[in-house]
Amino acid sequence: MSRHRTLVAGLAAAVALTALTACSSSTKKTNDGGSGAKKDGGVYTSIDANNQITAGAPMNPFNAAPNSFLGYNQMRLGFDKFNPSDPNDLFPGLAASWTASDAGLTVQLQPNAKWSDGTPVTVADIKTSLAIAYTQGTAGPVAGAGSTIVLGTNFEVSDIKDLGGGKIEIDQVPGAKNLYFQRLVLSATIVNDKVYSGLLPADIWTLIGAVQGSDQAAAKTASDKLTALGKTIAAFAPAKDVSAGPFVLTRVGPGEALLDRNQYFFAVDKIAPKQVILRHYTGNQQIWGFMTNGELDSSPYTSMPTNILDQILKAGYTRTDAPSYVSASIAFNEKQAPYDKTPVRQALAHIIDRDAVTKVGEPVGGIPAPYTTGLIGSQTDAFLSDDQKAALNAYKPDAAKAASLLQGAGFTKDGSGQWHLPDGSPWTITLQTVNGFSDWIAASTIVANELTAFGIKTTPAITADFATYQKEMAAGKYAVGWWLTALGPQTDKAYNRIYGTADGFSIVNGKAVHSDTSAVNWQHTPATYTVNGQTIDPGQLTADLSVTPVADQKPIIAQLAAATNQELPMIQIWNYTKVGFYTEKHFTNFPKSGADALLLNQPGVWMMQGFVQAK
Amino acid sequence: MTGFARRLAGKLLAGLVMVWVVVTFTFFLVHALPGKPGDVQYESYIMQGFSPEEARAKVAAVYGFTSHDPLLGQYLGYLGKLLRGDLGESTYYSGVPVSHLISSALPWTVLPVLSGLVVSFLIGVVAGVVAAVKRSSRWGGLLSVSGSLVAGVPSFVLALLLLLVFHTEWHLLPDAGTSDITLEPGWSPAYVGSVVQHAVLPVVSYALLSYGGWLLAMKSSVVTVLGDDFILASELRGLAPVTRARYIGRNAILPLFTVLALSFGVMFAGSFFIEQTFDYPGLGELLLKSIGVRDYPVMAGAFLLITVAIIAANIVADLCYTLIDPRVRR
Repeated sequence: MSRHRTLVAGLAAAVALTALTACSSSTKKTNDGGSGAKKDGGVYTSIDANNQITAGAPMNPFNAAPNSFLGYNQMRLGFDKFNPSDPNDLFPGLAASWTASDAGLTVQLQPNAKWSDGTPVTVADIKTSLAIAYTQGTAGPVAGAGSTIVLGTNFEVSDIKDLGGGKIEIDQVPGAKNLYFQRLVLSATIVNDKVYSGLLPADIWTLIGAVQGSDQAAAKTASDKLTALGKTIAAFAPAKDVSAGPFVLTRVGPGEALLDRNQYFFAVDKIAPKQVILRHYTGNQQIWGFMTNGELDSSPYTSMPTNILDQILKAGYTRTDAPSYVSASIAFNEKQAPYDKTPVRQALAHIIDRDAVTKVGEPVGGIPAPYTTGLIGSQTDAFLSDDQKAALNAYKPDAAKAASLLQGAGFTKDGSGQWHLPDGSPWTITLQTVNGFSDWIAASTIVANELTAFGIKTTPAITADFATYQKEMAAGKYAVGWWLTALGPQTDKAYNRIYGTADGFSIVNGKAVHSDTSAVNWQHTPATYTVNGQTIDPGQLTADLSVTPVADQKPIIAQLAAATNQELPMIQIWNYTKVGFYTEKHFTNFPKSGADALLLNQPGVWMMQGFVQAK
Repeated sequence: MTGFARRLAGKLLAGLVMVWVVVTFTFFLVHALPGKPGDVQYESYIMQGFSPEEARAKVAAVYGFTSHDPLLGQYLGYLGKLLRGDLGESTYYSGVPVSHLISSALPWTVLPVLSGLVVSFLIGVVAGVVAAVKRSSRWGGLLSVSGSLVAGVPSFVLALLLLLVFHTEWHLLPDAGTSDITLEPGWSPAYVGSVVQHAVLPVVSYALLSYGGWLLAMKSSVVTVLGDDFILASELRGLAPVTRARYIGRNAILPLFTVLALSFGVMFAGSFFIEQTFDYPGLGELLLKSIGVRDYPVMAGAFLLITVAIIAANIVADLCYTLIDPRVRR
């Protein structure tokens, strides 16, 4: 071929490629779903905050990072409303209704509950799914857990009976008293028996029975078998998605997942979108970009600065706010002086201006913490009386008070304004944060400025990644660092975060045991506190919370809140708000601010409840 | 055995030794990272409302693929598996074969990087020749400046600029993804067109990033060759300009050939910044994510792929160099 011909051939190929490109899909991803799709509601585009999407990951909800999307193609009997005053409050899922009893739970399945292959959801599906929960660490005392099971955390099922007509009785193990049995069972992932039962041995319930039995050797053998089964199940890669949810996974590309509406879904008339596209993302910036370009119908919580918020609102999005039950705090390692002294921690709380720090760290999704009680502000308001709240120290910025506390603890200030430790050496602080937590990093700068201006030279330091942060924190390498606390909405979990393993407490047969030498104890607080003249055991109170009905928790919470507020194992800086966004460009009737229970769930759950309608 | 076969066998043997050394080094290096598989997932479960006991039990279940054997035993087991062509099982993805994860990500790195490399090489080399030959003219100077400018721009700045212009402002090209997910994958014109369309910005980014390097290297090489005696002699002998250009090109491109061959190997590392900016998930992202979650088998597998690719490219470059430059064979 001559050079001339080669050139012509090359040009022809380029033209063909250009034509091909022009024939392909539009350059800007739209939600119109093509001609005629609008009648069907079109394509709903969003992001699954708990699932970044990886091509090659299995369509198996039991995998650690699956291509399975809760509320869309991953179903439960019910969906948690995250109601702090009633932890057993759920939206109906595959269960249309349920009744709790002393024996356990009676569930009525949705009358038309079907899988995407057209077959009905049966008792066998529920039984297989609950058996799988025993292999996945969400039910029963699973081998390898390495700790004693606390009543109220894992569910224990002894029998599942088919009462006919889609009614199922799920019995709790006799003697087990789990306050959250209903929520835990209803929140279990339900999978198709025909797809998953082949992975389970025929004697699976005999194994589960052995685990629950008193013969320790038999229980250990059975536990080992369940653990081995757990590995097989987690690695399982079904060839095709069989979903009982409103959507079924059609395909997963490296950048997106495509789900089609499940024509057999029990409430398909409520599901407006014909398809759902879930976008892959690696960080906040991408989500911001998708929204400023108007490409998402709704977005999950994303931390952002105010200028990005303005751009997103300008792009036509409406903001929604829901409580997040998470607090950003500065925690201490009390094994390292001078943080073993309560007045020191109290002085630091008086120096840090939480309003100013929040304005920089989390201006959109943060509310300055009104109290340090171990709970977010609204929970403190709900559980404490006005008198109890009035007795709390708000730790308002007060340099004089801070100076007085420090002087009382033997600290001195030199002529240059620098504070010195009681041994005379200059007091410096390294405030540890972690790469990727942009809000903590930004906030650290302000905290450091405030402390340095007060006379305590403070330097923010960033750990490379979270795995390293946890490792080094547990190893006691950080004296002062950021930490997420107030993890609710269950109050026992919020307090377990402070007075749990990170603080040397473990629960053995309902009793709290404190170990200052535990490998994961990095806070090193004392085993007991003296509050208002009374000695309290925060670990035991936390353990008691997990077996106390919410209605009876107030006296326990009052003690824990007062102790936490006085002793400050950490200083709560801001409480997060779950800020979400939606646009009504393609769909309407989105849940608004105030609909907390819905907003804390995925859009698939909104749709099941009749929200998100075609325009 | 012929000389070529001997050379090939020698290089392959040396390559194997090098692969073993790198594999050993990376195996112990990744295990030396602080933190362990499951640490991050544990925190994620806590954030999702699990109690510490539940979260630990769940991590123990889904991270059951984390080996608890002594490190030396793990290393020997890993080598044994490698010899059988088995890269092991991911811990983060609960037992999914590493080869499956890598092969799923690989095309989305090779496609844009290879295309970008070829495009930038062709344009950069031609522009480099022009910049050298016309180095005293305004055009030559402009070309050289363009190479220096582009070579100095960081990848994420360049990618963001392209995104701003071609997607946000002009709506000409998609901002993210590898194709339109609503299209059935296959060889249909619509799907292939969509893949091409989505690849344009990443390819242009990769091409622009390396264009400057090729241009400047080629210019420098051509200028050196232009000063050689044999070029002066060819001019004095009255050889046609086309013939002289062929002499110049063949001699000047030799140093670039080695770099090109090595670039084919390096491309398997991908570029996280470009993959992230265009949400074009390839090996770069898989590797970075696996580091974040301490997925040792995926990290080791990705490093192995990069190592083997670079060593193979090196061997191919060495062997081909002897073919294209007869002086090396003497």
